[in-house]
Amino acid sequence: MSAAGNGGAFDVVVIGAGANGLVAAARMGKAGLRVLLLERGESLGGQGAVMEFAPGFRAAPLGVDPGWVPPAVVRGLGLESLSADTADIPLSVAIAPGSFLTLSRDAGRAAEAIRTHSATDAAKWPAFTNQIHRLAGFLGELYQTPAPDVGLTSLGDMPALLGLGLKYRALGGEGMIEFLRTLPLSVWELLDDWFECGPLKAAVATGGIQDYRQGPRSGGTGFVLLHHLVGAPVGSMRGRLPWRGGPGAFTDALEQVARRAGVTIRTGAAVSRIMVRDDAATGVVLANGEEIATRAVLSTADPTRTLLEWVDPVWLDPEFMHAVGNIRYRGCTAVVMFALDAIPAFPGLASSDALAGVVSLTPTVVALEKAADAAKYGDVSENPHVELTVPTLRTPTLADGGKQVLIARVHYAPYRLREGATWDSTRRDALADRVTAAIEAVSPGFGAHVLHRVAMSPKDIEERYGLREGAPSQGELGLDQILFMRPVAGWGRHATPLEGLYLGGVGTHPGPGIAGGAGWLAANRLLEVRRSGKGRA
Amino acid sequence: MTPRYDAIIVGGGHNGLVAAAYLARAGRKTLVLERRHVVGGAAVTEEVFPGFKFSVFSYVVSLLRPEIIRDLELPRHGLQILPLESTVTPLDNGDYLAGWADPDETRRELCRHSPRDADAAVVFGRLMHHMAMAVKPILAMVPPDPTSLSPGDLAGLLKLGGHFRSLGAERFHALHKLMTMSSADYLDEWFEFGPLKATKSASGIIGTFLGPRSPGTAYVLLHHYMGELDGAFRAWGFQKGGTGAISESIASAARAHGVTIRTGAAVERVLVRNGEATGVVLEGGEEIAAKIVVSGLDPRLTFTHLVESKELPDSLVEAVRRFKFRGSSGKVNLALAGLPNFTCLPGEGPHLRGAVSISPSVEYLERAYDDAKYGEFSRHPYMDIVIPSMIDPNMAPPGKHVMSVFVQYAPYNLNGGWTDAKREAFGDAVVDTISRYAPNLKSLILHRQVLTPLDIERMTGLTEGNIFQGELALQQLFFMRPAPRWAKYRTPIRGYWQCGAGTHPGGGIMGASGRLAAMEILRSTP
Repeated sequence: MSAAGNGGAFDVVVIGAGANGLVAAARMGKAGLRVLLLERGESLGGQGAVMEFAPGFRAAPLGVDPGWVPPAVVRGLGLESLSADTADIPLSVAIAPGSFLTLSRDAGRAAEAIRTHSATDAAKWPAFTNQIHRLAGFLGELYQTPAPDVGLTSLGDMPALLGLGLKYRALGGEGMIEFLRTLPLSVWELLDDWFECGPLKAAVATGGIQDYRQGPRSGGTGFVLLHHLVGAPVGSMRGRLPWRGGPGAFTDALEQVARRAGVTIRTGAAVSRIMVRDDAATGVVLANGEEIATRAVLSTADPTRTLLEWVDPVWLDPEFMHAVGNIRYRGCTAVVMFALDAIPAFPGLASSDALAGVVSLTPTVVALEKAADAAKYGDVSENPHVELTVPTLRTPTLADGGKQVLIARVHYAPYRLREGATWDSTRRDALADRVTAAIEAVSPGFGAHVLHRVAMSPKDIEERYGLREGAPSQGELGLDQILFMRPVAGWGRHATPLEGLYLGGVGTHPGPGIAGGAGWLAANRLLEVRRSGKGRA
Repeated sequence: MTPRYDAIIVGGGHNGLVAAAYLARAGRKTLVLERRHVVGGAAVTEEVFPGFKFSVFSYVVSLLRPEIIRDLELPRHGLQILPLESTVTPLDNGDYLAGWADPDETRRELCRHSPRDADAAVVFGRLMHHMAMAVKPILAMVPPDPTSLSPGDLAGLLKLGGHFRSLGAERFHALHKLMTMSSADYLDEWFEFGPLKATKSASGIIGTFLGPRSPGTAYVLLHHYMGELDGAFRAWGFQKGGTGAISESIASAARAHGVTIRTGAAVERVLVRNGEATGVVLEGGEEIAAKIVVSGLDPRLTFTHLVESKELPDSLVEAVRRFKFRGSSGKVNLALAGLPNFTCLPGEGPHLRGAVSISPSVEYLERAYDDAKYGEFSRHPYMDIVIPSMIDPNMAPPGKHVMSVFVQYAPYNLNGGWTDAKREAFGDAVVDTISRYAPNLKSLILHRQVLTPLDIERMTGLTEGNIFQGELALQQLFFMRPAPRWAKYRTPIRGYWQCGAGTHPGGGIMGASGRLAAMEILRSTP
């Protein structure tokens, strides 16, 4: 224990009021700590935050998939009352203008739709969705415990490890092999193993490239598919059920829990530095120069900013800094938000219900791959992969006067462009025009419904959400950047080389889409250290 | 009737020969059946054009397991490996990047381009050595089945777990990165000079239908460092007389131990009675009985050609169907009237005694992959060029030379399929691309042999022309090579075994699969 005065009015300062920051703060507040939660923006919720992108039109463009809240978090914070919308969230794909394939969450209905293209694929569909659900389920188990690591694993971890071992065995011989085989596999190969129907493969493959700057033919996209389906209902190929009450419901509930737990929340409070003395965090400095002393800091900002921008390098070992510097972010997602006077017609689309789910406009896996090729060389795809969602179908309150909101997610728009090129408004508008044209192609007259259009390049996403390189993953989901390798090798357990400094953001285990998962584990780690009396926290 | 042989090896490739030698060495009466007129499989030397001898397919050696060289006393049987002295990468700006036999020289050369990389290269080389060391015991072990609870498998898994723990966290993590990353991403963490990254990452794509930016290629990179294991200077080298002479030396050692080798003896199928292998039938109908049959062929041929799938569990049939071959490499063998003159290093220099790598940038390699991804051969391919006649003059008539060009990518499944015209167009793309760096090449060419993956398949039998008998992709390694539960050289058919590169550890003139298979056979059959 190194001395750091009384540590000020707060036991711990949590940086960032996204899902992870709110969960961590609430967890520690409930444990009796004096917690200060700092948010640089004016609103809470981070990636799930709802913004008004045009007068009377609101959306959470990065929160289309609300993510999965681990049971421990639900129980620990008493979020049981928060319920998910049980309606269908289908995944559709445009085969050609006037023709769509819609995969309902109901395997029977999905198989029905598939049968018109391939009877054999239709027959395999239920087995496929069950297998994916089972494998993602085991991943979910890995995501609820600290990442096992050859270097760290101590006797104390053995019960947890043993539990995981048994759950793994519970997959059965076939399942165990399929799990190990699927992680390094490309989603392209995975789907070729199962299916023949092009559009079906193209639809499912979109799940393997979410916020990942690789094409479906690239190894590891099998894992990305599974990762984003952790906690998803069986049959769903694109994510989890939206919250009843809209994208903001989760954030609001967390804020209440946090406040009830005595957490002090300050918005518009951007951190500019973390104070360190004798290898231990002693407080934070805000952009306005205000210094806040504390005994511990838990940052949900990305690891690179937290460690390389906010901490004076003299306190960190060069090899560790080198490792942090090597974290790959590679934002490649852009979003275009449309304010519409009414739901445009999509000829051939089963029902407007489909628009409440995800509608991919990319009919073949090859087209997905070609969209990715451009990004490899720092170019924006000429024919980007576009997927649509109309959140107002589930949450009418997002738009005033019965109007509608349409969100288009766009791959690949690499944050890092070729030498000389920058993300200026020209390039952003050009991309938005391409997106509008792509929608117009399957929804003639779409343009006439557009009241407002707001596009966000990865650069804009970086600025608005504080996401490095505009990457919602805060560290791409490569197999070398997950579990005990996340954020960097050997530091998968939310502590850092600095006493009292913890990482609990999406950039740490278990990563994106696990709402509050990282914050929960980080808070637990901090509380353990505090209890053990070893080191300051 | 009592079988005349204890074991029949189907296929006289280097792994089959190694397995045969080890079995005979232990007193088993062994017969090797080779379809072609020469043994060696993909490691053969042939006089393709009068006076010009080529290592037709596999052309350099490095991975051959030292224990095999010792156990079979291969040097006594003609094994003589001459060092490959350098690797030179011509750059588009007329300069070059070279790696020489002498580390100090290499360091000075690197400093010319990037002092930072010169330092990094030392640490990188050391790490790669340690990583190769870390993998060595795994290459030498029969893969345990992680789904099994049998004492043997559990012991194997514990041994494996213990091995990883013994590496310590730092090396375990480094190994994890190598197993999962793309070679380009991995090298980006170390180096800054593009051509250096490109040339190193090239060994991560060999025999694999992946680009340097595809995760999984870093392992293939490591696989090619295994050769430097015995320390000392034995990186990559030539066998005197070509790679066929390696096969000959193993065959000679095998014969010395009493192995019978029959060439021109194509096996039509394996005889199976009541789920047990009893021998083979040759094309032409001759039946030969044996206590066990060992297939050195790739998994597709082993499980779907030599035996009927009804003899096998569906899960294995499915696994073999999924197994990725995807041959992506071609070979161009040139008979030359003289030596090529590389503009970056004019005249006859030591660089002609080594390899010339056409890998000016990672983007160059990645774009070559993009072509192949969509079913075309690379217009500007990656190439590894050597001139064996510079090291071993007997390969060509006096004053003349042979040039061996390994080429990627040439997809097995070319749009519209391979035709003679497309083969020549592919050959032209290769020659034209080299000519950009050695303008006099075209004028020197006396003969040209172009081999597409389809040709490689037709001549050697390798499915889809994959030189590793199946890609070295993470999901096709160790206990998944060639299929879960059947990675221990056994098959569901009693007395039917596998020993080819399609089994662990596979790939390159290594012989490890043949040796491990023989060990396992000797351990478990009387």
